Amino acid sequence: MHNTEAKERVSSELHYELSQHYYQEATLLQNGEFNTWIETFVAKDLHYWMPVTERRYSKDKRPEPTPYDMAIYNDDYDEVKDRVARLLTGAVWMEDPRSTVRYLITNIEAFHTDKDDEFVVRSNFVVYRHRGQLEHSEHVGCRQDLIRKVGNGFQLARRKVSLDARVTEDKNLYIFF
Amino acid sequence: MKPVNKLIQQDGAIQDRAIFWDEDIYQKEMEEIFARCWLFLTHESIIPDEGDYQSTMMGEDSVVVARQKDGSIKAFVNSCTHRGNAVCFSDGGNAKSFTCPYHGWVFGMDGNLVDVPLEKQAYHNEIDKDALHLKKIRVESYKGFVFGTFDDEAPSLKDYLGGMAWYMDSFMDVPGGCELIGPPMKSILDCNWKNPTENFIGDGYHVGWAHASALEIAGGPLAIAKGNAVYDAETSGLQVTVPEGHGFGVIWEGAAALHGGPVFEAYQKWLDDRSPLIREKMGEHREKFYRGHWDAAIFPNCSFLYGTNTFKMWQPRGPHSIEVLTWTLVEKEMPDQLKQMIHTDNMLTFGTAGILESDDGENMEQCTQTNRGYSTRQGTLYLGMGKGHEYLDPELPGLVSKGWVNEAPQRGMYRRWAEFMEGKPWSELSTTAQLEQKKVGG
Ligand code: FES
Ligand SMILES: [Fe+2]
Repeated sequence: MHNTEAKERVSSELHYELSQHYYQEATLLQNGEFNTWIETFVAKDLHYWMPVTERRYSKDKRPEPTPYDMAIYNDDYDEVKDRVARLLTGAVWMEDPRSTVRYLITNIEAFHTDKDDEFVVRSNFVVYRHRGQLEHSEHVGCRQDLIRKVGNGFQLARRKVSLDARVTEDKNLYIFF
Repeated sequence: MKPVNKLIQQDGAIQDRAIFWDEDIYQKEMEEIFARCWLFLTHESIIPDEGDYQSTMMGEDSVVVARQKDGSIKAFVNSCTHRGNAVCFSDGGNAKSFTCPYHGWVFGMDGNLVDVPLEKQAYHNEIDKDALHLKKIRVESYKGFVFGTFDDEAPSLKDYLGGMAWYMDSFMDVPGGCELIGPPMKSILDCNWKNPTENFIGDGYHVGWAHASALEIAGGPLAIAKGNAVYDAETSGLQVTVPEGHGFGVIWEGAAALHGGPVFEAYQKWLDDRSPLIREKMGEHREKFYRGHWDAAIFPNCSFLYGTNTFKMWQPRGPHSIEVLTWTLVEKEMPDQLKQMIHTDNMLTFGTAGILESDDGENMEQCTQTNRGYSTRQGTLYLGMGKGHEYLDPELPGLVSKGWVNEAPQRGMYRRWAEFMEGKPWSELSTTAQLEQKKVGG
């Protein structure tokens, strides 16, 4: 589950390393290097989750969505790998010519957990997508990740993506956030 | 607006492109179709208890559907009768009443006006609260699926569904019935609402080509359709259109076929175990439909895939845009684990980021947007596949054709569309009952 307890903030060196990792991740995704991303930046015990959050009145006491509820992404490693593999079949007509996707990653806050090699990292994003001649969309939200130190780098073990929009103003969300 | 017999010709096979573009046609659809037809609202399982409600759309009208004290379900337009503000702003929940944020009028869960601030001091107790209820909507359920209509003249929901109800019973009327898992995913697609409806109602043709990439990945038994490599028109399935405009295509033995690996096995076992019960209750035909995979639409704008179990509404937002709502359909008596597996697969394949659904968005949009061109728009479009090969089957309602790659259900949908757009009263609209008489009469 996602709520691995966040403890104190990481040092500035570690914060720097982590933010570099996030920028590299964005670069891979922007360049369509999905295989490198899934093979080196993603842990095998991944849970990649984008819940659907209803608009509810504040007095509504129903619990927040869990991974048993409706979600736009609710994937384990193999499912994300399948999504990557589809993009590389050469038969995704709407991605030929390719669309361009740009990630702006900000507000990175990183915390220790009770495991030495695992960190909770929160970040905000704006993702812009342009397609064809005039088509464009933007998606704004935040991510809560569990990141694991592996060798010289980091791997993503959990990602909860929270979109700000209730209704997606785009024909699909087949974008890795 | 051109005359309807120019918009739809050759028994539904030719459509004028204006039907995907023109504002006046769209406004006429709002009046003749969306203000008259039964439109899907929600499922009873989503609002089980007194005070439970959901907000949704009927055409472009915002509405609220709520469970009443006596267990019945009522629906009303989400617009205050004072100055017209919306009274409900949440997706759903449980409430005793709705208070309008503008001047504080309070409406009960049945839509009645129950309280107004300063009733004595400012209205001098002269306001006729009984006359100022929210606009009420006729509501009926079919096997738990709740529909509403603005038209008091409309036939019962069951008659509106016509022959489609007989087919849908194959899964809606299983012991315990079906339920929907929400809250729905919601997204915007810049297409006309008829594009995805015609896609779901009968477009088996696009599957092998449009979804080639996804079929390669999904790998279940349906993957053989990839690139149209294998297709047997005689034995692979059926297509059905009923005079009420609804229709579907079925791939025999395909219900679980888009699910991969362990989900396929668990679901197939469930279907095998259930089949004898279905046969006993509803006969051999319905057992066969129960085990098949369906692409289907309930006229005008509700669609589903039975087997893959995605359930969709295409809510119109002007002629060139829709809001897509996506739920998961499951049998109530399935074990929780199987429900969860099917639900997860539906999100993966036909959700907002679905590996199949994402293939289609572009097709839907461009089929609408190319008609922006004036000269393009002067042309017509063709749905002639299999025309003349439909037949009356003595044992099946509606008009049937062999194979699941065909365009008969789309033609049926446009025949119905034309009947509505001509403004015919309900008594002059075609029905399955009439068609059945023809069968008997020969
Ligand atoms: S508009 Fe609703 S109370 Fe005035
Ligand atoms: Fe499709």
